[in-house]
Amino acid sequence: MRITARIYRFDPVCDTAPRYETFTVDVEHGARVLHFLHAVHERDPGLSYRYCCGTGQCGSCAVRMDGIPVLACMEEVRDGITIDPLNLPVKKDLVVDMQPALERLAGIISGGEDHLLDRDTVETIKPLRGCIECLACVSVCPAMEVARFAGPTAMRQEMRRALDPRDNSDRITEAIRDGLFTCTTCQNCWKVCPKKIEIPAKAIEKLRAIANRMGLSLPRHREVEQLIRDTGRSIPRGKSSFLEQVPEVIEPEGKVRKTVGFFVGCMYDFRLPDAALDAIEVLRRNGIRVIIPHEQVCCGSPLIRTGQLQYLDNLQRRNIQAFTSRGIDTVVTMCAGCGSTLKKDYCTPFTVKDITEILTELGIEEPACLPLRITYHDPCHALHGQGIQEPARILLNNVVDIIEIPQKCCGAGGGTRSGCPDISSALGKRRAEELVTTGADVIVSCCPFCEYQLGEFADRSVKNITTILHEGYREKDRLARVHNR
Amino acid sequence: MRADDRASCHVLVIGSGGAGARAAIEAEKFGDTILISKSIVGKGGCTPMAEGGYNAVLRTGDSCVLHEEDTFRGGAYLNDPDLVRILVHESPERFEELIRWGALFDVSHDNLPAQRSFGGQRFPRTCYAGDRSGHELMLTLLEHLRNSKVHILQEMVVVELLKERDRVIGAVGMNTRKGELTVIRADSTVLATGGGTRIYDISTNSATGTGDGYALGYRAGAELIDMEMVQFHPTGAVYPYDARGRLVTEAVRGEGGILLNARDERFMVRYDPERMELSTRDIVARAIATEIEEGRGTSRKGVYLDVTHLPSEQIEERLPVMLEQFLKFGVDIRKEPMEVAPTAHHIMGGLRITTEGRTTIPGLCACGEVSGGVHGANRLGGNALAETQVFGKRAGETAGRSPSRTGRIDPLQIETVENRMEEFYSGDIPPWTVSRRLQRAMWDDAGIFRTEEGLNRTLGTIEELLAGALCAATPQNIAECFTVRNMCLAASLVVRSALLRPESRGAHVRRDVKQSWDALTSPYSHTYISVYREGIMRREVPK
Ligand SMILES: Cc1cc2nc3c(=O)[nH]c(=O)nc-3n(C[C@H](O)[C@H](O)[C@H](O)COP(=O)(O)OP(=O)(O)OC[C@H]3O[C@@H](n4cnc5c(N)ncnc54)[C@H](O)[C@@H]3O)c2cc1C
Ligand code: SF4
Ligand code: SF4
Ligand code: FES
Repeated sequence: MRITARIYRFDPVCDTAPRYETFTVDVEHGARVLHFLHAVHERDPGLSYRYCCGTGQCGSCAVRMDGIPVLACMEEVRDGITIDPLNLPVKKDLVVDMQPALERLAGIISGGEDHLLDRDTVETIKPLRGCIECLACVSVCPAMEVARFAGPTAMRQEMRRALDPRDNSDRITEAIRDGLFTCTTCQNCWKVCPKKIEIPAKAIEKLRAIANRMGLSLPRHREVEQLIRDTGRSIPRGKSSFLEQVPEVIEPEGKVRKTVGFFVGCMYDFRLPDAALDAIEVLRRNGIRVIIPHEQVCCGSPLIRTGQLQYLDNLQRRNIQAFTSRGIDTVVTMCAGCGSTLKKDYCTPFTVKDITEILTELGIEEPACLPLRITYHDPCHALHGQGIQEPARILLNNVVDIIEIPQKCCGAGGGTRSGCPDISSALGKRRAEELVTTGADVIVSCCPFCEYQLGEFADRSVKNITTILHEGYREKDRLARVHNR
Repeated sequence: MRADDRASCHVLVIGSGGAGARAAIEAEKFGDTILISKSIVGKGGCTPMAEGGYNAVLRTGDSCVLHEEDTFRGGAYLNDPDLVRILVHESPERFEELIRWGALFDVSHDNLPAQRSFGGQRFPRTCYAGDRSGHELMLTLLEHLRNSKVHILQEMVVVELLKERDRVIGAVGMNTRKGELTVIRADSTVLATGGGTRIYDISTNSATGTGDGYALGYRAGAELIDMEMVQFHPTGAVYPYDARGRLVTEAVRGEGGILLNARDERFMVRYDPERMELSTRDIVARAIATEIEEGRGTSRKGVYLDVTHLPSEQIEERLPVMLEQFLKFGVDIRKEPMEVAPTAHHIMGGLRITTEGRTTIPGLCACGEVSGGVHGANRLGGNALAETQVFGKRAGETAGRSPSRTGRIDPLQIETVENRMEEFYSGDIPPWTVSRRLQRAMWDDAGIFRTEEGLNRTLGTIEELLAGALCAATPQNIAECFTVRNMCLAASLVVRSALLRPESRGAHVRRDVKQSWDALTSPYSHTYISVYREGIMRREVPK
């Protein structure tokens, strides 16, 4: 089997800049990236790369294949790929400096209980234990790029130690010092983890919960919690409110194709109500009847992400009740954060769908083409949190030109915006700049946190995807009127 | 003498697998300890790859006597009795110590360490952490090392042991990427470089399993025993070809997997009708090899290992790593059979050691797979991880307790290494062509079935390969050249030892020898080999 691929080459000792070199070699059927590298190495013995076990157990061989971290020994090689080192300081070619990150992964300090753990404790720690220290997660963590943050696998290790009764040292203070609150819960880390260790949910949010019980939550996070207790919303009311402007039931134009409940979320209710109104128009236009229970409250995401769990039950009960009492079987939300929370942190008797999902599933009336070049910013909580990527493209494809750009976190999530504003803005600024360099006229997304954050830093308008669709329909109607005249 | 990077320490440990890491942790209690690791520490060697588990007598119903007997029987009574006694008696203590240090082995419902049955043992005494037992052990030691004062030299390969007269006084290390030398003087040195079945074409071992330690020890004058004893695991993956040999754990057969040849015959009935697929490793490996040799194998030169008759849930719950690995390689083992064939797994022989871990030359200790004697002619699953801890601690302690000395490094020795490096720059044979030819020759004629003729043929190939001038195109290839030379030397030790043993015993099968005895009544004991002498020991035949 003949394979051609581009490999990143750089020797800091003699090269001034990195370059790519393309190699074509023969490998056996089913060969992995590693075997391709072996074959290249025979051609060019100067190529440097790491490996050891060859079976996905030692974590030596992680590289990026077309930008995404993989274990070279496990990932099947494909023709035409590009192989890069992990996004860490390069020692030579595909070999990166792993030491600084590995040194942070010290073991338990004996001092606590001195005997075999019971079965339950072992089973609780186990999901955090399979780490092969490949550093794929570290290489994609946005928080580490701008903050003094020890990183995902170090937090995993802190949690593993915190759970272990044999170690009675104070893991929480150390974790906080190491940047526990800088994580944006973007989910990047565990999506690339070859062992699928759910670091944000199983380590970071859990450590924050322990911090909370110890009274160590950030003051800004505590204020948010108080606000939720007082008002049912995580942010203060802005100039207007979505819920105050809409009736409880909104009938569609024409035949009813589907009835859904609408979960608006704090941000679209109080800060970006116009986008939510656009969304309602798009739903109506496509035969979807919308029921909007007015007693719905914050989904609780800001509490879960920051480890403040006491009031969560209350919110969950109220929200579930709001929809079930109206016999709703499908709840739609246009907030990626709420969607991810309702899907993963709730036990709901109804199905939850992102607005882009329901629209693509039902199929929509084609809007008119707009003379716009847009770039789409995938929200972390849609892409990683819910695995949604395609629907937005399908919806936008015939309406605007889309300029694609690799996904990255905007820094607004995980309580970072309120708790560590400097870090959040640093990430927001960088992401906004990246998006602007695409040359797009408009930045489009489908998450109020991303939209608000990017809106602050980009010198370009940032719009919700339903706003674009709505504009497409208005344009269509205008053209029809012109035509009829 | 160009090598200007120098270090000095009380104890130098070479190799960072289970044995080396444990030795370093122990030695550090007595003085400055340096640990040299060919890979990033904790990532090299076979320890992190071990899936099955760690043998320890922990429950009532089991006993050290029983564990000893199982080990002897498995080892075809070639094991060194003193080493076995210590292994069995100290393995539980070392296990409990790992637990104290943070290890997270599985716990059963009665809140005792969970233990599973492994081949050839009459009591379920194999402690495990799912199917990542070795990784758990390695991680625990690694984390402990990170909290210790052991000085670690990463990604450095030892190319020669240093000597002052007959005493080992340290080693010459080389940075694997830059080809620069570091000279380390040590009061005592511990060799823990692990095994070397990478000398075979098909192997379960990690990339560092190249037998360096056997070669280093041999060149330094140490004696090695039973080097012909190489365990072939019956079930290694055959696809993808480039990843051939990858271990398919014994647990697959334990769960009820059956072996079928290309004609759909459950062939084990012809080899061991009683135990069938659950027969011992050597018998199953030979059975599979015979089926393939006689033309009843698949087109990829394997046989089928089938679990499709088992409920999907059982496969998902009990064999998750296998399921995941095969899925990654395009085979859903719930629906299709796996294809497997024997693969070189473990070298039972190695440097002759005392119960204290001393080799036959002063200043040098050895532990783990690089040493010989514990497993005799065939290793029981689960005994190797225990060995790394029991003898790692002992060797570390012996080295630590040895007095400090003032050794003088002989500049000539460094020069020899440097001259060799120069030669590599002017050679013309790429190292991988040599390793490939070596691996094929070893597989064909020094593998599961052996004859004098085939062994001599392989020896001829090895000598030819050793005579060729290896070439290094860049500094990082220098270490590769040294490694390939070590592979050739280690292979020649296996072959020469195989010629020395005129019997079939345990893992060693001589097709050209007819014998009237079995393992119990064999007149032979260890083969031994060193630069000074070689031969086979005879023993009193038990009546
Ligand atoms: C796939 C697989 C599964 C296994 N499963 C089990 C099991 O379930 N139970 C069991 O008991 N046993 C099992 N074994 C056997 C067991 O894992 C090994 O025998 C044992 O781990 C060897 O430990 P070690 O410390 O001696 O060597 P290793 O763990 O192999 O470590 C050797 C170290 O030496 C280093 N090294 C090598 N050469 C040099 C050099 N020249 N200079 C510097 N450093 C060097 C290597 O980088 C490595 O760090 C298995 C083996 C394999 C391959
Ligand atoms: S969730 Fe995102 S920010 Fe948090 S540790 Fe993972 S990669 Fe880093
Ligand atoms: S957590 Fe996952 S991605 Fe991160 S180092 Fe461990 S195995 Fe690799
Ligand atoms: S080489 Fe060990 S994980 Fe890939």
